[in-house]
Amino acid sequence: MRTGFLAGVIVGLSIGSAQAEDAVKVGVVQSLNGPPAITDFGDSYLQGIKLALKDYQASGAKTKIELVVYDDEANPQRAVSVVQRLIQNDQSPVVIGTVASGNTLAFAPILQKAEIPLVAGPSIATNITAQFIDQKPSYIFRCSMVEKFQIDAILDWAAKTFEKVGLIHSTTGYGMASKTEIENGMKARGKALVGIEAVAPGVNDLTPQVIKMRDAGAELLLDFHESFELVYRPMARLNYHPRVAGNWGLSSLKVADIVGRDAIEGTVMGQALDLGSPRTKQFDERMRKEYGSEYRWPVVAALGYDAGQIVFKAVDKVGKSDPKAIRDAIESIDGVSAISATPARPFSPTDHECLDKQDVFLGVWKSGDVIRMN
Amino acid sequence: MSMTNILQLLVSGFAMGAIYTLTAKGLFITHLATGKLNFGQGDFLMVGAFLMMGLLLSGLSPLLAVVAVLAAMALLGYLLERVAVRPLERSGDQTGGYAWVLTTAAIALILQNVVELIWGKSAQYSPPLFSSKRDSVIEVFGIGIFAEEAAIIALALVIVVAFYFFLFKTRWGKAVYAVAFNREAAALFGINVRGTIVLVFVVSALLAGVSGTLVGPLVSVNPYMGLVFTIKALAVASIGGFDNPLGILAGGLLFGIAEAFSNYWDSSFGDLYPLLAVLVLLAVKPAGLFGARAADVR
Repeated sequence: MRTGFLAGVIVGLSIGSAQAEDAVKVGVVQSLNGPPAITDFGDSYLQGIKLALKDYQASGAKTKIELVVYDDEANPQRAVSVVQRLIQNDQSPVVIGTVASGNTLAFAPILQKAEIPLVAGPSIATNITAQFIDQKPSYIFRCSMVEKFQIDAILDWAAKTFEKVGLIHSTTGYGMASKTEIENGMKARGKALVGIEAVAPGVNDLTPQVIKMRDAGAELLLDFHESFELVYRPMARLNYHPRVAGNWGLSSLKVADIVGRDAIEGTVMGQALDLGSPRTKQFDERMRKEYGSEYRWPVVAALGYDAGQIVFKAVDKVGKSDPKAIRDAIESIDGVSAISATPARPFSPTDHECLDKQDVFLGVWKSGDVIRMN
Repeated sequence: MSMTNILQLLVSGFAMGAIYTLTAKGLFITHLATGKLNFGQGDFLMVGAFLMMGLLLSGLSPLLAVVAVLAAMALLGYLLERVAVRPLERSGDQTGGYAWVLTTAAIALILQNVVELIWGKSAQYSPPLFSSKRDSVIEVFGIGIFAEEAAIIALALVIVVAFYFFLFKTRWGKAVYAVAFNREAAALFGINVRGTIVLVFVVSALLAGVSGTLVGPLVSVNPYMGLVFTIKALAVASIGGFDNPLGILAGGLLFGIAEAFSNYWDSSFGDLYPLLAVLVLLAVKPAGLFGARAADVR
């Protein structure tokens, strides 16, 4: 049903664009179908972008903007092909997306080469921006959590709280990149992991891997698999209940529902949105009114909103479909009143990240809610 | 590796192996009677899993849900025979004798797309059968067995025994073998050949359906999970030797155990090794471990 709706949106937008030839087509690639852990991200980020578009249109800005949304279905080949479609068919001067870092890493070089700016999100792999930042100029920006900052925060806490730490990771681009960062991070803190286990895609039963962790005596399990819930499943039967820590995906209500509130109690993850501030509360209420129960992930939606804001503001400043000018406008953008911790002037020629290290903190599941860990 | 770990892996291996065995038995019985099998057997399993999930999520009790799913699968099996297999008999030699591969695979594709239309492409989680949380664990000799796994193993054993009984001790079972041996002679003996053929396809679909209802809580279900199960069921049927029901049981359990241990030793490529092993085995012994080299006296 959602695919049909999306097809209808695209058709409707294309018909609209036939009349409004001067509308700038902002391309959006998100994962809207696939593993629940991933579509959670994609849906929420897109909700934020759409609300930002609504606000942009209500503000009476002169440049017409149209969203061209494609679903990459959490598949790297499909992600690359829809980005090529955005470049060649839709002539998009700017792209926002996507969820899986592997997918973003697959099409970022294409956009850099085509000289079309990309605001990556919600993917978090550190080298999405890092591998292009030295290029003059870099077309790749990111408005999302950065894995390095999350991992740093988690490892700082892990190194001083636990003796034995184990890691289970997937063999996707994201999983392998995380593994390298974690290994290096532990080494830099003078510690070693007691066990590292990989999980191939399509494998559903992690009993062998969790047995190995248990035998190694891991007190803290780092869960860097996209389907976070798989790591928890064998724990009941092995009577092994270590502390679990992972990336911000673990803060999703959907994951908590699948794993169970009891099993997820005490799980730690990176966070970047403080629901305590009044501005955030206001955003939270607006999203709830707009999307109802579909709205379930404040931090990801907030970052989607900010990414949308930034891109639309830059496009409006340029006034037309000019990728190079839009890139410059994004890099020099100022006066952003962000919902997330993104500052008013988030970027510079040497910093293409919305969020910086000090904006990331650790959250923990306590009695059915994610709260800031102190 | 400690004894506890070995036992724990054996249990996981047995459970998945039981699923593969049941699925492969479906392939076996249709191949026995007609020389054809359902290339969408894994997708029938997928449909069974989704139907079960859908019914459980809508509040139906597990027992009623199972009955409903089995009824639906029986119908699906009948339709498969009627639509994808029977019409080909009329064309006979013109289609080259293997057109059923395409037609059953086509049904599989249709099923995948229908399921996708209804439930979307995303992976879903089937609710656990025996409690509201995923922690109904039975402790035996220091290892934990999920209640669902215990159910699968127990049920698979019951079904295999029932199957054996059906094939070799009942009239319908003997009818199946008669039809397999020589259709025309069987007809002359008063055996309802058409009915027997429909029966084997219905039984095959039921076996896939049972596997589907049981496998849901163990894995995550998505519309494209069928192909892997079809391939593994074919591998298991090949190990067991296509004609031997006990051989298929042994083959399925061996495959499941090989999978569990291979994931333990090398988690990045866990699923690869059992399939490689089957490849090597078939190269060395094409009739499978238990295939009988019986003379064809037709």
